[in-house]
Amino acid sequence: MADQLRFDDKVVIVTGAGNGLGRSHALMFGARGAKVVVNDLGGGRHGDGSKSSAAADKVVEEIKALGGQAAANYDSVEDGDKIVQTAMDAFGTVDVVINNAGILRDVSFHKMTVEDWNLIYRVHLNGSFRVTHAAWPIMREKGYGRIIMTTSAAGIYGNFGQANYSAAKLALVGLASTLSLEGAAKNVLVNTIAPLAASRLTETVLPPELLEKLNPAYVSPLVGWLCHQDSRETGGLFEVGAGMVNKLRWERTVGHGYSVKSELQIEDVASKWDEICDFSKTTHPANIAESMAGAMDNINNPKLGGNKWIDLDEAKAAKPIVAENSYDQRDLSLYALGVGVGADPLAPQELQYVYELGENYHAVPTYGVMPALNAFMKLQVDGGKLPGLSSDLLDRVLHGEQYTEIKRPLPPQAKLRHEIKLRTAYDKGKDAVGIIDVHTFDESGEELAYNEITTFLRGCGGWGGDRGPSADVNVPPAREPDAVIEEKIGESQALLYRLSGDWNPLHIDPEFAKNFGFDRPILHGLCTFGYVGRHIIKQFLGNDPRRFKSIKVRFAKSVYPGDTLVTRMWKESDLRIVFETRVKERDEVVIKNAAVELYETIPLAKAKVKAVAAASTATSAQPAGPIPEDIFKGIGKAIAQAPGMVGKIATTFAFKLSAPDSSWVIDLKNAPGAARAGDIDKPDVTLSLSQADFIDMCTGKADPQKLFMGGKLKIGGNLMASQKLEFLKTMDPKLVMDAVAERVGAGGGASAASAAAAPQQSQELIAADIFNGIAKALAAQPAMVAKAATVFQFVLKDPDSAWTLDLKNAPGSVKPGSVDKPDVTLTLSDADFLDMCTGKADPQKLFMGGKLKIGGNLMASQKLEFLKTMDRKLVEQAQAERLGSGAPAASASSVASSKPAAAEAPAKSGRAAEIFAALSKKFGSDAKSINGAAGAVMVFEVSEPKQSFVLDLSGPQPKIESGKSANAAAVFGIADEDLVALVKGEAELRDLYQRGRLRVDGDIRLAHQLGFLQKLI
Amino acid sequence: MKRRVNVIGVGMTKFAKPGSSPEYFEMAKEAGQKALADAGIPYEAVEQAYTGYVYGDSTCGQRSVYELGLTGIPVFNVNNNCSTGSTALYLARQAIEGGLAECVLALGFEKMAKGALGAKYDDREQPMGKHAQVMVDLQGFTQAPPAAQMFGGAGREYRFLHGTKKETFGKISEKARVHASNNPYALFGQRLSLDEIMASEEVFDPLTRFQCCPPTCGAGAAILCSDEFAKKHNISNPVYIAGQSMTTDYGSSFAPQSMIKMVGYDMTVQAAKQVYEQSGIGPDDVDVVELHDCFTASELLTYEGLGLCPEGGAEKFIWDADNTYGGKVVTNPSGGLLSKGHPLGATGLAQCTELVWQLRGTADKRQVAGARVALQHNLGLGGACVVTMYRRD
Repeated sequence: MADQLRFDDKVVIVTGAGNGLGRSHALMFGARGAKVVVNDLGGGRHGDGSKSSAAADKVVEEIKALGGQAAANYDSVEDGDKIVQTAMDAFGTVDVVINNAGILRDVSFHKMTVEDWNLIYRVHLNGSFRVTHAAWPIMREKGYGRIIMTTSAAGIYGNFGQANYSAAKLALVGLASTLSLEGAAKNVLVNTIAPLAASRLTETVLPPELLEKLNPAYVSPLVGWLCHQDSRETGGLFEVGAGMVNKLRWERTVGHGYSVKSELQIEDVASKWDEICDFSKTTHPANIAESMAGAMDNINNPKLGGNKWIDLDEAKAAKPIVAENSYDQRDLSLYALGVGVGADPLAPQELQYVYELGENYHAVPTYGVMPALNAFMKLQVDGGKLPGLSSDLLDRVLHGEQYTEIKRPLPPQAKLRHEIKLRTAYDKGKDAVGIIDVHTFDESGEELAYNEITTFLRGCGGWGGDRGPSADVNVPPAREPDAVIEEKIGESQALLYRLSGDWNPLHIDPEFAKNFGFDRPILHGLCTFGYVGRHIIKQFLGNDPRRFKSIKVRFAKSVYPGDTLVTRMWKESDLRIVFETRVKERDEVVIKNAAVELYETIPLAKAKVKAVAAASTATSAQPAGPIPEDIFKGIGKAIAQAPGMVGKIATTFAFKLSAPDSSWVIDLKNAPGAARAGDIDKPDVTLSLSQADFIDMCTGKADPQKLFMGGKLKIGGNLMASQKLEFLKTMDPKLVMDAVAERVGAGGGASAASAAAAPQQSQELIAADIFNGIAKALAAQPAMVAKAATVFQFVLKDPDSAWTLDLKNAPGSVKPGSVDKPDVTLTLSDADFLDMCTGKADPQKLFMGGKLKIGGNLMASQKLEFLKTMDRKLVEQAQAERLGSGAPAASASSVASSKPAAAEAPAKSGRAAEIFAALSKKFGSDAKSINGAAGAVMVFEVSEPKQSFVLDLSGPQPKIESGKSANAAAVFGIADEDLVALVKGEAELRDLYQRGRLRVDGDIRLAHQLGFLQKLI
Repeated sequence: MKRRVNVIGVGMTKFAKPGSSPEYFEMAKEAGQKALADAGIPYEAVEQAYTGYVYGDSTCGQRSVYELGLTGIPVFNVNNNCSTGSTALYLARQAIEGGLAECVLALGFEKMAKGALGAKYDDREQPMGKHAQVMVDLQGFTQAPPAAQMFGGAGREYRFLHGTKKETFGKISEKARVHASNNPYALFGQRLSLDEIMASEEVFDPLTRFQCCPPTCGAGAAILCSDEFAKKHNISNPVYIAGQSMTTDYGSSFAPQSMIKMVGYDMTVQAAKQVYEQSGIGPDDVDVVELHDCFTASELLTYEGLGLCPEGGAEKFIWDADNTYGGKVVTNPSGGLLSKGHPLGATGLAQCTELVWQLRGTADKRQVAGARVALQHNLGLGGACVVTMYRRD
């Protein structure tokens, strides 16, 4: 065979090679060029009987007869070092060790003696250890080795009567696994075979007719391949025999992960037994790391837990349930009547909710809860299940709290899509509280309303979960209320209200109500909700509901039709009213911990906002999704709401985001805590990742662990402390969305026609003004393009914007946004940019101080010099145009008032003349002060404003006059203000010179003689 | 036991303007082949190669040396800013002197971009950050090329201290062009009047355009060997290295802040001092000098740093024409960097080449009569300064 796999010059030790498998291995190696050490004690299969050299010698002869080389060894494997020594003496090294020798002491366990146990261990486990251990350093030293351990099906699966043998045999698998790891780097490969072959060990357990077919010759080739120099296999376990060769590996069920926050009980294990043992989904851990992965994952992504009613893990993993419905004017009017509108059918404030053709037709804002709730109830009626909640809860549910927020005034009709999700549940001990989120979107996909339905789940607690917040919110202040409204509920109000969708018989069926323990049907909680909402609108919005943002209430007690509601209201700020409502007849609080929030201005649909923003010039685009600013703002709010977090977590986090770069800090160590842009000294943890990954991580689209494992998230500092960021997961995402809404609303609506929005327009100079000014300059001086021949990219931060100044491609352009390959990229904060362009900050200092980063061609950045020479008025003009177009009413005054500040200072008067007049006077009274300058003619060329003076000290009388002189020994060039500073002693001459602010042409030695300038003014 | 190190072969290309040069390895090949031919030995006799360049990815040295032969010898890529070439020479000298090799090649080459030197890596701390800080503190940062600001600033400081005329700086360029007019290897061989020099565009007061060396492309090479090797190859009376020293920045480069010190004045002073001690030869005995004149201001400072004139005496030294033929010592007979341009990796070996020719008496029209002792000064900001003394018996 031309390409026979050979073992030329390889030294192979085969233990127990006198018979059976060992002999087969030895002959194979010998036939293929190896130098074989044939070890055999010559004992019987039970390890007894007298030693005999015959078996080993015979095999040696056979090998030699085949033309091979072999040496015999008669030592016990327990003296493994002697066997290795034989190899060293005969052939000088060891390349391959086949641990094959073995004996049997089969006996059922109850009869087994300590001697039976120990003997098996000595031969199989200790023997393999001794031989391998002696060969190991030789193999390591030369960087080559192949080792075979021989295990047995009895070890892997067990076999009656072979307790000692099974235990020792499987021990070899463990030994090989570790040796494969330790030997890998040194090219020492270790594998284990479980052979099935006729041998002295099997002849007792298998029938003769089968033994015939179990020729050892079917085992040796696997051994040969595993020991060949071309094989890379290591740590493998193989079954081999009768022509079959198979590889084994471990298989593990996915199992069940329990919460590591609560105690694990026997019952918990029993209840998940099927799942634990379910091999329909499995993994195959191949090493310790993979073995631990499951447990680590369970620690890092702890199960939230639950019980038969609530499964928080299911809720978390599930996507929101989507439901659709719609409403129109009829629904709105019916609802309005249901919540008490129409008592005075002539009052415009009543008609506005029910007369769809009226001039000011508005939906009652609290209607924002109805489509969402109807969708949720329909889901239940249809037998649907909300992931995380048992469908078997109806009789345990009480509507405990309600939060409804509308993103803008509800349109007269809408087709809606709802996303419903169990956000979380709190374990209150015996009972539980579930919070169901419903996000409602209109046809354009824009969110119209958000509801948070807090349900009290009687008897559903006790899984050891989070108890949730305990502090009361929206507690009225101690003072008397700022307003009180009293309103009697109609006796048949519930009959009317239920037509809006809550068909629960409890509110209409007297019998049913009695069975529930009530004297008579009670009013719907959400009906009362509508009443109190109207109270706020009446009192604080002048009956115009359009600035109504949100309402939060806790339902404390039942209300009956016919009760008189007394709503007491406290105005906590212009935008927030806290209230509580009592039933006058029973003097009971029925609504508490309640508040209404208002919008500052009437919010517009975003589609509209976008259109307006696009129409307005030069405002940078505001991304509508969350940006890091929103997320950190949201976190800031979360910290403010839960100040306890600061002490508890006691960690400072630094976030380094890239693409684009930004730095953020979450400080949960120093009270009162903060989430802000910027850096912090010595953060406990630093997390570096791309902005996109960060947003995905915070919006649940990316798993931080996966980002970390994938190298996309780098964690510096205390790795463990990073786990404290878990709180982010429990944070109310609404806080972030609020921040988005605030930002998008504020930025995008800047130039909206609405008078109310106009005041948000920045009266200050903004970056856009400057770039618009540059565009004007560019139009005025197209030659600039060819001269600069450079594309500049400005990346501004806080707020972020990007601008491209193209002075390369005629006719040149200035536009927002970035460009593919700019020649220069200048990155700096928006504020520094403004300072730089208004002369308040020196670009060099910004650059040297690291505040201005210049990427690309550093030299090309110098071409920006023209900015300095650009006419400032162009920028002012751009600013005035922006303000003028955006807010006509305010523009006149604001532009006028901003002008003096931004306008170029009126022509500088300069003080040089004054200085030289004073010098003249000084020379007149104190000629000595001329000192070393005597005899010289000097010229001072003063700039800004430009003036020139001649100091002629050559004659008997010093002369100082304006003008120039051809005879000057030295000409000093200096700006007026530097001259003033020099004279005042505020600047040093040498320093001015070194900085190039004082130029000396001619005899510089005269510069040392200018002491007379001191203190002239 | 230190062994004598002989320079048995030198060679260089004529430097070319950026954009019009051959590939770097082709220039290196030309210089290397010239040096081998000059030494009269086959490339196979070279045991190690030290290759210097600043701009280029790793192992440009191998790419270049492979043009000479593929003998599997060790090749070391050296990068030490403007003193890269001399740094390669320094390592080559060490290998021979220490008995580690018998014959080695020092090869420098550079393919440069147009315009003033700038940073290539803008995503990390600049190596000259500490130096730049001194400059920013003392004089701010302008639009001028950074190196011109540094050396020009040192010129300003010197001028203020010593009352030096601006024209004194200009005189150095005038002399350089006179020397260059005799050097076929000089890129800028035409003479310039002092007026022309002073009237050229101001780059950074007091430096004008003609007082700044331009970037060029080129290569230089030197073959160094032991006495035994020279004898075996029948090379008699070769030029040898009588002393060589390399210094890097001392504390004085940064504090107290001084532009003169920042641009490596003390590196020059100390390296020269060490070389004079090693060789037992003082500045007065030097016949010819190739020194680092990237700007006229740096040449002026180097006169004093090398001790060719007393401190504060440079102006007199210049106006007395002590820096040229007929004066005390001929400085930059080749025309210097001001006339040849400055291919960073090649400059140090081009200086070496010129001095070997001078000591052999083969420098033609620009030959310094009877030159026996030559001094080389090559300085890089960042920084490193290599001063080498050559002799021929």
